[in-house]
Formats: sequence, structure tokens, C-alpha cells
Amino acid sequence: MESLAPNPEVRLEVSRCFRTLATSTDAKDLVATLQTLHCYLDEGPESRTDPVQRAEFRRAHFTPALRLLGGGGIRADWPAGLTPAQQAELWDGLFLKGPPEQALLVLMEAMGEQRAGANLDRFVAITEKFLRSGRLADLLWSRCLETGPSDSPQLRETLLGRIAALPDVTANRLHLRNKALFLPQQYYPLLATEMLAALERTCQSLRDGTDCSLTFVAQTLGKVCIQGHSGLVLAVLAPRLSVFTRSDMVWQRVCWKLLQNVPQRWMESVLTGLVQAVSGPDALGRIIGNLVLTNKKAQFVITHKLLLLQYKYETGVLRIVLGYLAADRERRPLLIQVLRSVLQAWANPSAVKHTPLDQQLYVSKALLLSVSLLKDSELQELRSELLQCLLGGMQSHLDSGVVRVRRMGMVVGECLSARMDLNKTKLKFEYEQDEETLELLCLMSPTTDEPEAEQVNEVDTPQETSATAPSTQDASSPNKSKTDPGSDLDSDDELTPYDMSGDQETSTASPPRYLRDCLETLVSSEDPSRVELSLRVAEGLVRRNIFAAREVSVQLTKVLLHMEDKYSISGFLSLRQATMVALTVTDCISVTQYLTTEFYSLNYSLRQRLDILEVLTLAAQELSKPIAETRTPPMGVSGAPESTPYPGDNPVHWREVVQKRIDSKTKRLRKGATQPPATATPNRYAPVAGHFFFPLLSNYDKPQVTFDLLGGDHLVLGRLIHSLGLLMHLAVNAPIAAQMGCALLDFVWAVRYHADQMVRRGVLFAVCSVFLSMPSENLLVDLSDQLFETRTWLADVAEEDPDADCRSLAIQSLVLLDKSLKKQLRDQQALTSES
Amino acid sequence: MNTLFSERDCVFYTGTSTGSSSPLNGGSFSSGACFQSSPLTASDNYPKQTAFGLLAATRGPNDRGMLRPAPSPIYTLRGAGGPLNTLHFSCKGGNTPLLFSGSGKGAIHVWNLNTRRAEKTVEGHSGHSVVWVGTLRETDALISQGRDMQVCLWDLSEGRSEVTDSVWTGSVGFCQCSVLETSSSARLLAFAGHQTEEIKIIELPGKTPVCTLVPDAKLGMVMCIKLWQPDSGHGPLLLAGYEDGSLLLWDVTQRSALSRVKAHPEPVMCLTFDLRCLRGVSGSSEKQLSAWMLDGQNNLQLQDNVALVNPGVSQLCVRADGKLLASAGWDHRVRIFGWKKLRPLAVLQYHTDMVLSVAFSDHQDPGHRLLAAGSKDHRISLWSIYNEGADTG
Repeated sequence: MESLAPNPEVRLEVSRCFRTLATSTDAKDLVATLQTLHCYLDEGPESRTDPVQRAEFRRAHFTPALRLLGGGGIRADWPAGLTPAQQAELWDGLFLKGPPEQALLVLMEAMGEQRAGANLDRFVAITEKFLRSGRLADLLWSRCLETGPSDSPQLRETLLGRIAALPDVTANRLHLRNKALFLPQQYYPLLATEMLAALERTCQSLRDGTDCSLTFVAQTLGKVCIQGHSGLVLAVLAPRLSVFTRSDMVWQRVCWKLLQNVPQRWMESVLTGLVQAVSGPDALGRIIGNLVLTNKKAQFVITHKLLLLQYKYETGVLRIVLGYLAADRERRPLLIQVLRSVLQAWANPSAVKHTPLDQQLYVSKALLLSVSLLKDSELQELRSELLQCLLGGMQSHLDSGVVRVRRMGMVVGECLSARMDLNKTKLKFEYEQDEETLELLCLMSPTTDEPEAEQVNEVDTPQETSATAPSTQDASSPNKSKTDPGSDLDSDDELTPYDMSGDQETSTASPPRYLRDCLETLVSSEDPSRVELSLRVAEGLVRRNIFAAREVSVQLTKVLLHMEDKYSISGFLSLRQATMVALTVTDCISVTQYLTTEFYSLNYSLRQRLDILEVLTLAAQELSKPIAETRTPPMGVSGAPESTPYPGDNPVHWREVVQKRIDSKTKRLRKGATQPPATATPNRYAPVAGHFFFPLLSNYDKPQVTFDLLGGDHLVLGRLIHSLGLLMHLAVNAPIAAQMGCALLDFVWAVRYHADQMVRRGVLFAVCSVFLSMPSENLLVDLSDQLFETRTWLADVAEEDPDADCRSLAIQSLVLLDKSLKKQLRDQQALTSES
Repeated sequence: MNTLFSERDCVFYTGTSTGSSSPLNGGSFSSGACFQSSPLTASDNYPKQTAFGLLAATRGPNDRGMLRPAPSPIYTLRGAGGPLNTLHFSCKGGNTPLLFSGSGKGAIHVWNLNTRRAEKTVEGHSGHSVVWVGTLRETDALISQGRDMQVCLWDLSEGRSEVTDSVWTGSVGFCQCSVLETSSSARLLAFAGHQTEEIKIIELPGKTPVCTLVPDAKLGMVMCIKLWQPDSGHGPLLLAGYEDGSLLLWDVTQRSALSRVKAHPEPVMCLTFDLRCLRGVSGSSEKQLSAWMLDGQNNLQLQDNVALVNPGVSQLCVRADGKLLASAGWDHRVRIFGWKKLRPLAVLQYHTDMVLSVAFSDHQDPGHRLLAAGSKDHRISLWSIYNEGADTG
């Protein structure tokens, strides 16, 4: 209580000093006065003041003294009376020796108030010195020790704010003259090391038996992190803590306490920063201990937010978080809880439809990781639940129209079923491996890391080379064994072999030579080789003899449409498709009539309906090509190359088409006339475009027993709209394009907000192609009443659609529409001004 | 759960397929297509074969320099009117070189290789397929075997075409006879007999039976035989291939089987034997030739197999100089191998149906040597192959 009573002696002395400082011009007086003030700060046995006086000075008079020195009421020129050495010792020393929090506050305050000039520079220099000399650690450490009531919340808040925002304050004040030390890149790592130093001292004092409070350090950490500097701070802090906690229990306790003391509202940013900064699950476990069990907020962040709500983190973070949950017996129930929620999120059909692809990938990764961390016994308990969710999830993934979603579903399904060990059976899908699937597959093997994934890639290349090598050496392989060193006289070396590359295996059957034979084989033959040969030559026969082809076109189309790949003929799909396309091109009207009717009739599989659409669009495309461009010999005849991918599997082409179309509309000024002018040839597609297009538009809303376009068969709907868009696109410059465009816009209007993203993409593509292909004058005249609504809708989609492709397509359509309208309006103006 | 989903099975909407080769990117296709042909079309006088050879050399395995392009026949003989089961050259004498051919329609054509026309056609097997023709060295006599179970001896000299003698074999199979001329007037004729596994040997012209060879085991039909006189001075030996794929070596005088090997899993279709190095090779309906040799104790020993691209061989023939082996393949191709190491050397592609017979000519001048191949497509193709070395040496 004694120390708290105002000590009149100190007060008198200090006020005398203040007076001197304020008035005196004599350097000696000033030096003496400053030395007096220093006396109150000097610790140690030789000090002339007693501890009570010192405490009183620190408590009540230090800040005013600094403020005075800082400029309030002191003439600007007086430090000039001091020598630089005296100035450094007496003036600066006062700031550096006293209670650091007061010094910091005064410094920051002064920095805020001072105008630019010599004084400001002096304060900047002192602040720099203050930071460099480790006073921040002293500050933090002093707060660790102090637990008394003097700690007013306002003061603490202010102090916290100043510490956390020092770079901002200095930057605002100093602008370009800011010191490097005050930049966040240097300041926050410095702060982190000071925090480490304070923690170190805490450990030391704990070992000595003194209690400490980590509240302030924890608050500082939290405050810095919430302000977005967690990366810088934790990059320094986490590795060191991880090292310290490896063997030292005191350090571990200090760390746990530190994390516990982080205020709830800042917990999330600290944790997210930490999981990204630590090197592995073990390190995280050592640093935060069982925080997830004690702290609700931490639990929410770790088990929910990081896994299910956010998806920006690397796979390594997932590995760390889940590994952390799995590492401890007490935390394992949380792992199972996490697994359940992740599984549900993965299997949720709505999530599959409406969440971004990246998030689905993230959830899939989390699911695979957590399953791989399960023990067999836990797996047994969860089995039925897993199985149920797996089945539901597989269905919703495979139902999806997006290739990536399907592929992710397949990989996850394979991995889960393999892990669950369902009576030795497991799912097996056929999908193409890419980086994504490989990464997912890697997650299941617990030890596998990225380097191993690279090894997998490396293994692939030698296989390829070894696979190609024997094929080139086929002819020489028999003699290789013969040319071993034997009797030289007996060798055949004098005889040079001829080229034997033509020596291929022959098939026994001969291909049919007439289209009717071909048709007959396809209808009735049970001989696989004959069917294959017929299929291979069919396209060539159709194209060679147009009149014969017209006689049987519909019949052959029917046969091909219903044909199944009974004998697993290589390239079956493309051969069949090529022939149907040839038939459609050869005998346009009757075949399109047949196909468009069949599209809406009963008892066709989705595959067949999609085939119809593909054949129609391919045929339209071929017809719209200039005739002069003679086709290379039809690929069906000479054994279709195995590598040609089935065109339906490639998702990028249509985008290229749109892109090229846009490119072709873009004027490039520097491009000279390098290409010879194209010769005009009749467009074969234009007269028959209507036959392709309009029959497909009818009947779409009449659900059949087996086919409900507006219901479950949205796959076909999306494809249909897309094909219509293409037919529209190909009909550019055709007279009928205007009618087609109107009809197509009418048609897609009903499904513009369809739930399936592929349908929406199709719709937007169709709209794009309408704007591209329709003559601009028709656009304005025929569609004037719809254009406004369409624009609003497009703008809405461009902003709000969850699918990125839809958004960009909508923007593209808007651009096209605007361009077209502008052109039209300009033309009209030109017309009116002429007339 | 057990259903396997394949990504192929359900093709999903993936944008459009059809945009892939729109007129807009057609240009890139055509530029890709002309990549290979451009060296040829760039200048018309550029020798095409060289260019082709270049291409071949870049990817060919035996790139000891450029590979020669596959050869073509020097000429063909048409008009036989049936499948050509057998061919036989007779070019030794000073007269015009002749080629005898036996057709499936029962006609034997005598082709003049100078005029490249059929000089004479004889029909002596009453329309039955002619299986084999040969000539006797001493006289000008032609010997022919038909599926009417007759072996006929013809006198064709001075424009005649008369059957001078005939032997009834009793065999309904396709096994060709083998004749061995023991002296200027006597010869042994071996043929498959009436019984399934029976081989009969008679002496001509007296038609006295020498022996009947029947194996102890059940081997099936006799498929092909070869009778020869070894240098060692013992009695004549006979090699026979049977339906179960085994080869038997018979000692004719002892009437006993000396050795037996199972050369093929399928019936032996043909065999040929080189007397000088005592090696032989046999073909079957499978994708390989089987090579074998006789050791000093008259034991048959199998050697390496030679793989073929397509199965089935109808006839094999070794050139008289022991350098080449030709095989008549069911895949319409004649294959040429180096006889020493059985290294594949060439594949002769001309025929449009099974090749049934091959024969090397017995020209005295090695530079004129020919290879003839008779096919089911009624044509005989003649090839001049690997005669270059003979010119210089």
C-alpha cells in the first residue's frame, strides 16, 4: 500500500525537472536534469534512489516525462545544445530504459502527432532503436508477469492495437520515407521472434516456479493473425515451436496455454494460419495439444470449417488436419465424426449438383484421407453407414453431366470399396488417368507423398518405349537369335533382306464389295470377322456408290442405329457413326426424317438418342463444308485408327468453335492478304437445314414411357439443345437461319433456369449461336420483344450462375448480342443518312 | 454394386463433339495430311522408290543401309483354268526351258518360258485334280499323279502326248509321290497306299512292289513323303510326314522306322529335305515352320522353329544351291528365307488367293534361275530373286 500512496518527494523532484526542461537553455542544466530523471530508471545496487521512489516514478511520472521530451511544451531547438553522444545516452536512453509499454505508447502517439521534420526523424530513429534492442520482448514479458488490477482493459486494448498495427501507423505517417524495419515483411517476423523470446522466458520462470500469464502474448498473436499477418508470424513461430515442443514438456504446456488463451474471436485465424505453417500432423499435435476437445471454436474450425466450408487449402493441410485428429486416442472420435460429415457432404446429391468442382475435389480428398486413416476395427463399425453413403454418392456422381465429377466419383468409389474389403469384391471403373485421379489415388496410401506421385509418372515412360520397340523389330526378331556367333560360312548375311513391312496378318474373310451384301451381313451374319469387315467398308461403299446408297439408306441407318457392339470391334462407335453420317449426307432428307422421328419414339436407349444427335450434327457439319475441300479417304475403310477418340468424349471442341468464330469476327489490322481469296462454292447444308432442325424441336414436351426429356433425361436434353445450337451455328448465312433462330430462342426459353448445369450450358451455347448466326437485322426485327428479357436473363446468369462456364458463356453471349445490335443500329443510321 | 460402370457406356453431354472438325479448323487437318506426302509431291522426278526406301529405312529394323522395296514378279502365266497344285521346271537341257503345272481341273500345262505361253495341255486324269507332276531325268518322260488314284507316265517327245504306263495307287489323299531314280532305267516310286498309314514303294518300270511301310503307332494319314538315296551307301531312306504331326524316317531296305519326331501339333502339310546338309524343314497349318536335321546315326533332331506371320504352308522348296528356302503360304504370299539360318528375306505378294505350290528352276546358268509360285487364283507368278550373287561368283 505504501507504494501506491503518492510520494510527494518524487513528485516535487520531477516537477522541478520538468520546469527546468521547459525553460532552461543551458546545456549543463539540461544534462543534469536528464540525469536526475535517469536515476529513477536505473536499477541495481549503485542506484541513488530507493525502489519505492522508482516504482512511483515509473507509475505516475514516466509517461509525462516522455511526453514532455517528445515535444509538448519544449522548444524545438534545445536538443541541439546536447552533443550527439549525450543525446543518445540521455534523451534516447530515457525512452529505451523505462517501462516499454509506456515508451511505445508515447512513441506511437508522438509519431502520430509530429509534423514532418527533425523531431519526427528523431522519433523514428528511437522507435527503430526500440524495436532493434528487443524492447518488444521486454514489453511482452512484462505483461506476462503483471497480473495486477493496474491492467486496465482500455490500456491493454490500446497497447495491443499499437503493437499489431505498428507497420500501418508508420506507413501512414512516413509514406515513402518509411523504414525497412517497419514494413510488415520485417516487423512481423521480428514480433514473432520477440514473442518466442517472451515465451522462452516464461518457460524459464515456470521451471523456477514462478507463475506467468500468457494472456497478453496470446492476444497479441490473435490480433496479429486476425489482421491478416498470420502467415508472416506463424512462418517464424510454428517451426520453432515445433522444434521446442519435441522434447520439452514445459514448452508443450506453454504452447497449449498460449493457444487456449487466444480469444475466441481470433481463434480461427490463428488455427488456419497454424495448420498451414506446421510441417506435419505431429507438430500440430504438439503445439495445440487437445485444443479441439476443450475449445468449441477450435473444434468447429478444425472439424468443420477447414474441411467442409473452405476449400482453398492444399492437400498437405488436409493431411495435417486429419492426421492430427487421428493421432490421439481422445481425438479419434472426432475423426469418425468428421468422416461421417465429410461422407455425407460427398454423397449429398444436392452438393454434387450445386457446389463448385474444386470444393467437391477437396471434399473427396478429405474423405479419402480420413478413410485411409481409419483402423480396421473402426471401419467395421462404420461399414454399413459407409456402404450406404457410398452407394448413394456413387449414384449422384455418376448421374452428373460433368466428366470431372463422374471421374472423381469413380476414383473415390474404387478407393472406398477397396478399403472396405467387401467380400473381396470392389468397384472397378474405366476412366482415363490424369493428374487429378492420380493425386486422389495417392491419398489412399498413407505413406505416399508427392515425390512418389512423380515416380509413378516416370514409370510410365519406359513402358511406352518398351511397348513400341518390339513392334518395330517384329520382322527381325526371328533372325536375331540366329545371328549369334556361329559358323561364319553358314550365314545368310550375303543375302540382303527385302522390305517386309507389308507382311501383315491377314484376315480370313474378304470384305463385301456391294452395299447390299454389306447390309445383309450386318443384319444377319453371326460371323464376327465378316461383321467387322462389313462395318469397316460400309462408309466407303456408301460414299462410292451414291445411287445404291440412296436405295437402302433408311434401312441401313435403321440397322446401324440398332446395332450393338456384340463382338467388341475396335473403333466400333466411330465406324458406325461415320457410316451413319455418310448415309445422312448422301440421302439427306429421308435419313434425317427417319432419325428425327426416331429421336422422339419409344424404346431407345439414351446412347442411341445421343447417337442420333451426334450423327445429325456431324452430317450437318459435313454438308456445310465447301465441296471443294475433298475429304481424305474415309477413315473407316483402312481400319480406323484406334487412337481417334470418340468425338463425344471431348469437352473442349465446342468452346474452340465458339472461340474461333469470335476470332474470325475480330479484325486484325496488321494481317495482310496472305491467303488467296476463297472460291465460292454452294453450301449444301443451307437448303436442307430445316430438315435437320425443326423436327427436333417438336415433341420435346410429350413424355414417353421410356423417355422424359423435361424430367429425368436432362442429359439428352442438354445434348439436344446443344446440337440444336450447333445446327443453328452451321446454318449461318442460310436464308432459313432467321426462322431457326426465333424458334430456337423460343424453345430454350422454357429451360433457361434448368437445374442441371449441362443443360444451362447448352442453352447458353444455343443462345450464343443464335446471336452469331442470325443476321443482325432479323435479330432486331424478329426478336425485338424478346431481346430485352434475354438480356436481363443473360446478365443475371453472368453474375449469379454457380457454374463458371455458364457465367463466361453468358458474358460471351452478351458481348455478341451487343456487337450485333450495335452493328445493326450503325447500319440503319448509315442507311437513313444516305437516304 | 457389382455392376461395373464404364465411362464409355454412358456418353454424357460434354459440350459438342461435332464442333471438332468444323470448317474452321479444317485447315489444320489438311496441313497435317500433307506432311508425309510433301517430299514426293514436291518434285515429280524425285524417284519414288528412293523416297519410299528412305521412309522404310528410317523405321526398318535391319537398317544396314536402305531396305530394298519388296520385289514384284517378272511375269505371270495365266490361263491354267484352275488352282495350280503343283509346278515343275525342266530347264536343264539345251531345249526351251519348260514349266509343267498341274491344275485342280485335271489339266497339265506345259509352259514355254521363252514365249511365256502354254505350249501344250494334256488331260489324263479324267478331270480329277492333278496332285503332282515331275519329269524323269534320263528320258523326257513326264510323270503325273492325279486324284483319280492313278500315277501316269507320259511320252511327250516329238509332239506326242500319250500315257505310256500307269500305276494305281489306291490313295484318296493329297500325298504327293516321290520318285528316286536308282539307275538310268530303273527307279523307285513311293506313294501313299490304300490303307490309311500305308506307304508303298514299287520299282519301275516293272511295277514290282519293293515294300510296304506301315508304322506301329497310329499316326493318321500320310501327308507327304520324300524318298532319297543317302551318300553313305545304305539302301534308300524315306521321310514321311503324318496327319498327327510326326515325321518318320524309314529305312526302305530294312522296312523299319529309324527315327520319329513330333514336329507339329497339326498335320504335316509339306516337307522338303536338303540332301547335302541333311537338313529339312516342314510346314503345317500353324504359324511356324519346323526345322530339323539328321545326325550321323540317322536320328531326326528338331531345330529352331521359324515364326510366320500368318498360318498355313502348302509347299516348301529349297533352291538347288542351298541358299534359299521358299514357302507357299495360305495367306497368298510366298516367303523367302535364307536356308542356312532360316532368316526371313522377302515376302512376295502378288497372288489373291492361297499359294499352293512353289518351285525353283533348274537353269544351268544361275543368273536365269526363277522361282515359280502357283496359286488357287489360277495364276503362276515367276520371280527372279537373289540371282545377283550368282552373276559375279
